[in-house]
Amino acid sequence: MPDLCLTDINKYYGDVHAVKNVSLEVPSGEFVVLVGPSGCGKSTLLRSIAGLEDISDGDIKLGQRSIAGLAPRDRNIAMVFQSYALYPYLSVYENIAFGLRARKTPQAEIDRQVAWASDVLDIGDYLKRFPRELSGGQRQRVAIGRAIVRDADLFLFDEPLSNLDAKLRDGMREEIKRLHEKLGKTFIYVTHDQIEAMTLAQRIILLRDGEIEQAGAPLDLFERPNNTYVAGFLGSPTMNFVEVTVKDGSMVLPDGQALSVNGAIRDGAYTWGVRPEHFSQSDEGGQGLRAKLEVIQPTGSRSYGTFHLAGVHLIAELGAHVGEQDRREVTLSVALERTVFFDKASGKAVG
Amino acid sequence: MSSAISKTIDSERVFKYLLIAPAVFVILLIGLYPLIKLIVTSFQNISMFDNDLSYQGFINYERLLDDDRLWKSLLHTIIFTAIALPIELVLGYLLALLFLEKLPFKQTLVAIILLPTIISPIVAGSIWRLMLDQRFGPINQIIAWFAGGDVRLLWTVETALVWPAILIAEVWQWTPFMFLLLLAALSNVDKEQLEAAQIDGASWWMTFRRIVLPAIMPVMFIAVLIRALDLFRVFDVIWTMTQGGPGTFTETISIYAYQMAFREFEISYSSAIAFLVIFLLTVTVVWALRRVEVSR
Amino acid sequence: MIRWDRGWRLTLRVACALMVTIVFLFPVYWLAAISIKTPNEIYSYPPVWLPAQVNLSSYMTLFRDGDAWSVWHSLVTAGVSTVFAMFIGTIAAYSIVRFRTGGDHLAIWIISQRMIPPICVAFPIFLLYVSWQIVDTYVGLILLYTAFNVPYVTWMMRGYIQEIPLELEQSAMVDGLTRWSVLWKVVMPMARAGLFATAVFTFIFAWNDFLFALILTKSEVVTYTVKVTGYFGSQSTFWSKIGAMSMLGVLPMILVVGTMQRFIVRGISLGAVKG
Repeated sequence: MPDLCLTDINKYYGDVHAVKNVSLEVPSGEFVVLVGPSGCGKSTLLRSIAGLEDISDGDIKLGQRSIAGLAPRDRNIAMVFQSYALYPYLSVYENIAFGLRARKTPQAEIDRQVAWASDVLDIGDYLKRFPRELSGGQRQRVAIGRAIVRDADLFLFDEPLSNLDAKLRDGMREEIKRLHEKLGKTFIYVTHDQIEAMTLAQRIILLRDGEIEQAGAPLDLFERPNNTYVAGFLGSPTMNFVEVTVKDGSMVLPDGQALSVNGAIRDGAYTWGVRPEHFSQSDEGGQGLRAKLEVIQPTGSRSYGTFHLAGVHLIAELGAHVGEQDRREVTLSVALERTVFFDKASGKAVG
Repeated sequence: MSSAISKTIDSERVFKYLLIAPAVFVILLIGLYPLIKLIVTSFQNISMFDNDLSYQGFINYERLLDDDRLWKSLLHTIIFTAIALPIELVLGYLLALLFLEKLPFKQTLVAIILLPTIISPIVAGSIWRLMLDQRFGPINQIIAWFAGGDVRLLWTVETALVWPAILIAEVWQWTPFMFLLLLAALSNVDKEQLEAAQIDGASWWMTFRRIVLPAIMPVMFIAVLIRALDLFRVFDVIWTMTQGGPGTFTETISIYAYQMAFREFEISYSSAIAFLVIFLLTVTVVWALRRVEVSR
Repeated sequence: MIRWDRGWRLTLRVACALMVTIVFLFPVYWLAAISIKTPNEIYSYPPVWLPAQVNLSSYMTLFRDGDAWSVWHSLVTAGVSTVFAMFIGTIAAYSIVRFRTGGDHLAIWIISQRMIPPICVAFPIFLLYVSWQIVDTYVGLILLYTAFNVPYVTWMMRGYIQEIPLELEQSAMVDGLTRWSVLWKVVMPMARAGLFATAVFTFIFAWNDFLFALILTKSEVVTYTVKVTGYFGSQSTFWSKIGAMSMLGVLPMILVVGTMQRFIVRGISLGAVKG
């Protein structure tokens, strides 16, 4: 199975520079997720790989051959669309068989492949039905079935779960992950949902305004973000950002409270990034920051408390049973070594 | 509580019937009454000479069977429809394909192309009669350029040319109609399905047959039905160009019926003809609709 | 991916599109040219492609002879009947859509009326008009055009009204409007585009009619279509008059369509797609 190699991809829509010098190497079999907000260029990039969009500049190589100028049908790729794009006038069987028929595969072979795909996705019962008779989740499976039934080199997914409701999405995420393990093919998956990115990817490519902000394993991006943008994008609830100054080995917050940083950070002005789970409620009088608990949002297994601290609202993760009686000034201890410091001017991570 | 509800329901009922009453009344007047009169008259014997209102049985209908001119006109009508319709459909489709993607001034060009459809068939017939004039018409002049010499085709007189002439006028006028409808239908085909087909590797023909055609079928069906009915009833354009001539060579069923009723004053007989036409049309439409229902 | 909207392919398409447009436009141009040519230019061989100047004498003749009145007759009959047909047809459509009056059968019956061949009902209607003494009157033609257009209006407006969300009307009723007010204050404004498109086509049908105008008029309210055919004689054909009168009949159409371009294009396509 070939590796995918994108070199200096540029795409212009008129004057708009939608994709800026993107280079990417995807080894065969990897599950890569392109993630970012609307307009970041992820769909454009995916469609360029598919051949549904032309690139203005750069090269796309699958293994040894360059596929940049080829029509979609010649690239040996498969794609799953956001709105499934099933053929409404064909049965489920015919939908899945469509690509095989187009390549003039013999009927016996078609039967075999469709049976295999419907087995993997558990849609054997619907083969004779039509798309309009199926639910959203079932249609999505048929769309995936249509993709996997061809022995493609590359599998592209364009926000496939966006049109499903939350519960269904959770289930499908797991199925897609299993599917990848089973097939062992290269998956390129586009989404705007950071949870999908975190849970599915072997490698996340986070895009902004047509450029790669950071690429790497999910936990890498999560624990060691390159800048405030990456840090703020991943994780829910989002990371807290506080303006601080470091002086003489101490980190000073806007309200004067200070914590010792032991010289790990040079003096200067920084944006301090601390995630809700980096906080914990300290015993009375312990080392930490004083803050007033204002709002409590229990989720069952834990609670998220909104604190007023140094003129900023912070969210911290608390125990499940925090209640009204705790709405007062408390002491929060911080796992400083897990927090991240960003240069105040550039937003880039330091240290 | 219940009396308030029933009051609303009653006033609602009155309202909804009030709304539809004028339409029903007007249609009964122009639709039902003439039909009844037709049937009644067709069983009588009214003509220029006779004013016999007594029941005459089926003599008018029997006359239909022996009337060569009638069956000839019916044949003319059917062949005319069978030739014009596919031409309009195919040309309209090709035009729609041409205009489907982005094009500068698309809206203006489409509006101009629509001109033939919005002018009266009378005017259309007149225009083409002038254009095809054997001496002063531009068409003969254009043909002369290609043929190298003088061309004096008598388009509206020579039997070999009359039907082509009428077809040209008719196709010129109504292809834009097909074009517009098909353009709308083609624009509505789901782009993602077409993209999926591209990725699946489908050929142009496979994509057309399995994705595009089913998607535009409803619109195509309506368009074909409307045009077929209009072509069957064609009158104006032929009347202006040839009046059914030379002789009865281009006489369609509508022209024949007109001649019988308003020139020869064969009232009863023309009623029978009229009834026959309505009967044929109804049967055809019902058959066509049945086929659609079944295929659903 | 083959793109047909750029490069030489686009140029090819533009060229074809222009050629096609010219083909469809040329006959209309020819008509316009004839209407402004001098008799010499009209009857010249080889034909004159571009008239030397704009000569309005053909039009003058029509106005002088009083023939131009036929355009007025067409305008009145088509205009008034359109207003009536739009009113009657739209309220009927509303009744069918919101109240399912008469179920499917009534709707089908009304819409099927459009299929009646004019020639079939022409004579009985003529007799009816004779007995009512409304042959060759405005009333007669207006009544006829209204009746013939109501099915079309009902069919088209049915589609447009179906698109209007029921919640809007329900919310208005909760606010205290009567059903009649809801129809006029909520539904009509929302169906504006559909009303325009349908009205335009209704007007065009009536304006372009020939058969009924031929049968039901004699001298008083002769419409332009009948007048034009009158100029074709077995002896002499008055081309200049044909040209001018036809143009008088065509110009209003061009005007209407020119200003309502957007609506019409959407109107035809929506109507058919829904139908």
